[in-house]
Amino acid sequence: MAKILIIEDDPDMVTALRLPLEAEGYEVYTASSGQEGLQKVKEIEPDLIILDVMMETTTAGFQVSLQLRSPDPNSEYAPYRDIPILILTAIHTTTSLRFGPDEAYLPVDDFVDKPVDPDVLLQKVRTLLEQRKSSD
Amino acid sequence: MNPSLAFDRLAETAAKILSADAAAVLLPNEAKDRLAVVAAWGIDSETARQHIQVPLPLPPSPPTPPGHPSVVHAPISIGEEPAGLLCVYGRLPHRFTEEDARRLQALADLSGILIEAVREASDLERIDAAKSQFIHIATHELRSPIATTQSLVRTVLKGYAGPISEQQKEIIARIARRLDFLESLVNDLLDFAASKAPELEEEEGPVALNASVGRAALLLQPRAEEKKVALTVRPYPEELAVWATEDGLDRIFTNLISNAVKYTPSGGQVTVLLGRTGDQGWVKIADTGIGIPEEALPHLFEEFYRAPNARQFAVGTGLGLSIVKSLVERYGGRIEVESAVGEGTTFTVTFPLWRPDHR
Repeated sequence: MAKILIIEDDPDMVTALRLPLEAEGYEVYTASSGQEGLQKVKEIEPDLIILDVMMETTTAGFQVSLQLRSPDPNSEYAPYRDIPILILTAIHTTTSLRFGPDEAYLPVDDFVDKPVDPDVLLQKVRTLLEQRKSSD
Repeated sequence: MNPSLAFDRLAETAAKILSADAAAVLLPNEAKDRLAVVAAWGIDSETARQHIQVPLPLPPSPPTPPGHPSVVHAPISIGEEPAGLLCVYGRLPHRFTEEDARRLQALADLSGILIEAVREASDLERIDAAKSQFIHIATHELRSPIATTQSLVRTVLKGYAGPISEQQKEIIARIARRLDFLESLVNDLLDFAASKAPELEEEEGPVALNASVGRAALLLQPRAEEKKVALTVRPYPEELAVWATEDGLDRIFTNLISNAVKYTPSGGQVTVLLGRTGDQGWVKIADTGIGIPEEALPHLFEEFYRAPNARQFAVGTGLGLSIVKSLVERYGGRIEVESAVGEGTTFTVTFPLWRPDHR
């Protein structure tokens, strides 16, 4: 079954995400900061990453996605560039950030709105994993 | 008027009234142990700052700048409190008369009243800004735990934490509903605080309508999907720019599209259409929702007003549309609404288009 890494600093939010994912049979791993997240990406080589934006800094999540999607072929994260990223957003706290279908600034594959609806989460996870499989 | 400009004019006026060629306005420093020059006329301000420092309490005759042996002074008082000093300097010794001192005191008394008025006004502004900032921070801090709690509750409610009884399910659904209300209250307060605290906002400039509507729709797409409401945006084929702030314009469309999704039952549609008529750009947000009764329309943009059918259908605070209207008007636009109960509602926001030769 697919491996999913949740990078999120709020342990209760991790629970809310983990329960539906585990109920679906996914193998769930967690990291509580952007730094730890990047390290776990290398260790676990997940099939999908769920990423929070505001963690140790207000843009820690952006930094993680920028590192993972770095166009530099010598980047230490180059082998993980194709892992799909699902970002967690909160509409009212992010409208002032440059945040949209803007590849140059935020290279992610899809968004899940906070509060998270588990059915929407699972549907997005399924879609991204299928897309990845078919492009392999 | 800028206070430092006002003090410059005060020094100039004092010198001219007494036909003298130099004057200075002195106010207490932060430690309140001496008076320092805040404005000077007829003397270089650096020279004035160096040479004219008056210790407190006031000496009988304050110091003078080089080349000006005589001085006449008048204390500026706010109420009974001594608040500063108005000094006029002469190049000849014993240049000033009793009459000069009386005339200067009249000017100083008037200045005291004006300083007091300016201070009160700027205190009020500061308090207002601090209050808005407090609301802004407090609501940010509140949002996060609410969102987490809502997520946990939904996870339990939908059975992902194990089976629950019908009765438990019903109670948890009530908790979910209360939390949704709390969320919308906090969101509206956040918008409300932002609309009252312009210093938190970025500077105005040209903002593209297509992009702003696109960002709002993208953020609301998950919510529409969750509710099974079809959300479609039809952008205008050319770029339409409005003089606004990106944050402000995004708030307008996020609010209107979020309302449209909220008041449209599952299976319905929300269509956002952009267009142009002459030098006006417009955005229509049309839904197939519950509609707004005719008698509610005149009150729709009042703070905290909610139409009776809206109150029954979903939680809310009645702040959203009043915020939208004030933002639309801030950018020179207008907002109109057409609605039929049971058929749907269309909000139209119209802005004057920005052209590169403007401003």
